[in-house]
Amino acid sequence: MKNVGLTIVRSEILRVVLRRLIQSIPVLLGVSFIVFLVLNILPGGTAVALLGVNATPKLVHALDVRLGLDHPFFDRYFHWLWQALHGNLGDSLENNLPVARTLGERLQPSLEIGLAAFFEALIFAIPTAIAVARRPHGVLDRVNVAVSMFGFSCPTFLLGLLGIIVFSVNLHWLPATGFVPISAGLGPNIKSIVLPSATVAFGLFCGYTRILRADLVDQMRGEDYIMTARAKGLSQWRILIRHAFRNALFNMITVVVLNIGTLVGGQVLVEQIFAIPGMGLLLISSINNRDIVTVQAEVTLIACAIVAANLLADVLYMVLDPRIRHGRIAS
Amino acid sequence: MAVSLPEVALVGAPDVSGIISTPFDRRQRRRENLELYLPLTGLVLMALACFVGPLVFPLAGPSSGSIVYANLPPFSPGHILGTDPLGNDLLSRVLYGGRISFEVGLGAQGIGLFLGSFLGMLAGLKGGIVDTVIMRIMDMLLAFPGLIIAITITTYLGPSETHVIWAISFFTVPGMARLTRAHTLRFRDREFVVSAYLCGRSDRQILLRHLVPNVIPNVLTFVSLGIGIAIVVEAGLSFLGFGVPPPAPSWGNMIATGQSYIAVEPYLVLVPGGFLFFTVMCLNLFADAVRARISGV
Repeated sequence: MKNVGLTIVRSEILRVVLRRLIQSIPVLLGVSFIVFLVLNILPGGTAVALLGVNATPKLVHALDVRLGLDHPFFDRYFHWLWQALHGNLGDSLENNLPVARTLGERLQPSLEIGLAAFFEALIFAIPTAIAVARRPHGVLDRVNVAVSMFGFSCPTFLLGLLGIIVFSVNLHWLPATGFVPISAGLGPNIKSIVLPSATVAFGLFCGYTRILRADLVDQMRGEDYIMTARAKGLSQWRILIRHAFRNALFNMITVVVLNIGTLVGGQVLVEQIFAIPGMGLLLISSINNRDIVTVQAEVTLIACAIVAANLLADVLYMVLDPRIRHGRIAS
Repeated sequence: MAVSLPEVALVGAPDVSGIISTPFDRRQRRRENLELYLPLTGLVLMALACFVGPLVFPLAGPSSGSIVYANLPPFSPGHILGTDPLGNDLLSRVLYGGRISFEVGLGAQGIGLFLGSFLGMLAGLKGGIVDTVIMRIMDMLLAFPGLIIAITITTYLGPSETHVIWAISFFTVPGMARLTRAHTLRFRDREFVVSAYLCGRSDRQILLRHLVPNVIPNVLTFVSLGIGIAIVVEAGLSFLGFGVPPPAPSWGNMIATGQSYIAVEPYLVLVPGGFLFFTVMCLNLFADAVRARISGV
C-alpha cells in the first residue's frame, strides 16, 4: 500500500513540474523578446554610446556593421536565441570577453550575500513571529510593529549607510566597503559580507515576521484543530510550534521563494553602497555603457531564476499540503 | 468563555449599544483618531514645508551656494542644517528636493491609479479575450524586477523628472490593474450591476457610474503605500545617478553626495535620509490607519 501511495505522490508532483516547465517556455520567450525589443528600440544606440563624443555618422555605421547591428531586427533576435539555446550568450560589446564567464564571476558575491541574508532573516524571523503570536497586541507585538514600521519606511540604501556610520565609522568593527572573495580567507570574507547581508536581511526580516505572525494568529483564532489541541491540554507553545506553524507557513513560503528569484539579480543598491562586484553593479555598468549583449543575457538569466522560483513554490506547496498533493484542491 | 449572561440580563432592556459610548470606547476612538490624523498632519506639514516654505521664508537657492561656505556643520549662522561640499544651503536643498519626491510619488501613483484602474476594471468587466490580453501583458511587466526596468528606461530616455515618473509608472500601472480587477470581479455579478445592464446601460456608464465609486475606495490604502514606494524608488534611482540630474537637488542624489563624506560629515546623509524616512513612515502609518478604519479591525 505504502509503495502505491509513494508512486502517486511522485507522479503527481512530477506532472505539475512538467506542466509548469512547459508553461514557462512561452513566458521566457516573451521576456527575452521584450528585453531584446526594448534594448534595440530605445533611442541612444550602442555604437553612439561606445564611440562617445567622436561619433561621426560614418564611424557609427562602420561600428554597427562590425557589431552586426545593421542586420534586420528579427534576424538578430533569432540569431541570438539560437546561440543562447546552445549556451553561447555572446561576447561583451565593452571588453569582448564571453558574457557567460563574466556572469559566472559576478554571480558568486551576489549569491553569497543573498543566501546569507536569507538565512539571517529566517533564523530571526521565525522565532520572533512565534513569540509575538503567543500574545497578539501584547508588549512584544507592539515592539515588533514598531521595528517593522521602521524597516518598511527606511530604504535599504539608507539602512546600509546607517550601518556604515555606526559599525564602520564609529565602532571600527567592520569594513565599510569592498568584497573579499572566499579564496582570500574565510574570516575576511565573512567580515566583508556581514554589513551588506544584514542590510538586506533586515528588510526581509520585517516582512517575514509580519506575514508569519498574521497567519499564525489567524490559525490560532479560528481553527478546529487548535481547539482540539487546547482541549487535550497542550501548552500554548506546543500548539503554536507543532500545530499552527506548519499551517501558517504558506504565505511566507510564497514571499520567500519569490524573493529567491531576486537573489540572482543581486541587490543593485546594496552592491552600489558596499562596492560589491556583483550582478547588480554589472547590470548598472552594462546599461550605462549600452552593452546590450550583457544586459540581454543578465535580464534573461534573472527571468529564468524568477520562473524557477515560482516552480519551486508550487512544489513546496504540494510537499506541505497533502490536499494539494492528492489533487483535491486545484493548485 | 462565551457565556450568554449579558443576553439574559438585557432581555427586555432597550438595545443601547452604539448609542451610549463607554469610556473604553471613547479612549479607543481617540486613539484611532490619533493614529489617523498624526501621520496626516506630518504629511501635510512636510508638503507645506517643501512647496510653500521656500516661498515664505527667505532661503538661499538650492544650488546657488558659494564654495567659501562649504561643509559648514548644522546650526551654523544663516545655515540651520549646514551646507554641502559645494557650499549650498542644506535646508534649502532638502526642501526643494522634497518637491521632487512628492511630485514623483503623486505623479507615478496618479498614472497608476488612472491608467491601471481603468485597465483593471475593463479587464474585470469585459472578461474573456480582453481580460486575458490585458492581464498577461500586466503579468509580463510585473515579472521584471522594478528597479531594473526603471534604470533601463531612464538611461535610454535620459535622466529627468518626467522620465522618472514614467519609469516608475511601469510597475505602478500593472500592480493597480491587478488589484482593481480583483475588486471588479467582486462587484461584477452584484444586483446593482446586473440591473444596470438590464436597464440598457452601456459598459462605459456602468464602469463610471457603478464600478468606480465601489472599487476606488478599496484601493486607496494601496495608493498611499504606493506613493511611499514610488518616493523610495525615486530616491534609489537618484542615488544611483539615474534619477534627477544634479545640480537639481533630490533626496536620493543628496544622499549619494553625502556617501563620499560619510566618515567626516555624516549629517550630509542623515539630513536628507531623515526627511525621506519621516515622509515614507507617515505615508505607511496613514495607510495602516485608513485600512484599519475601512476593515473595522
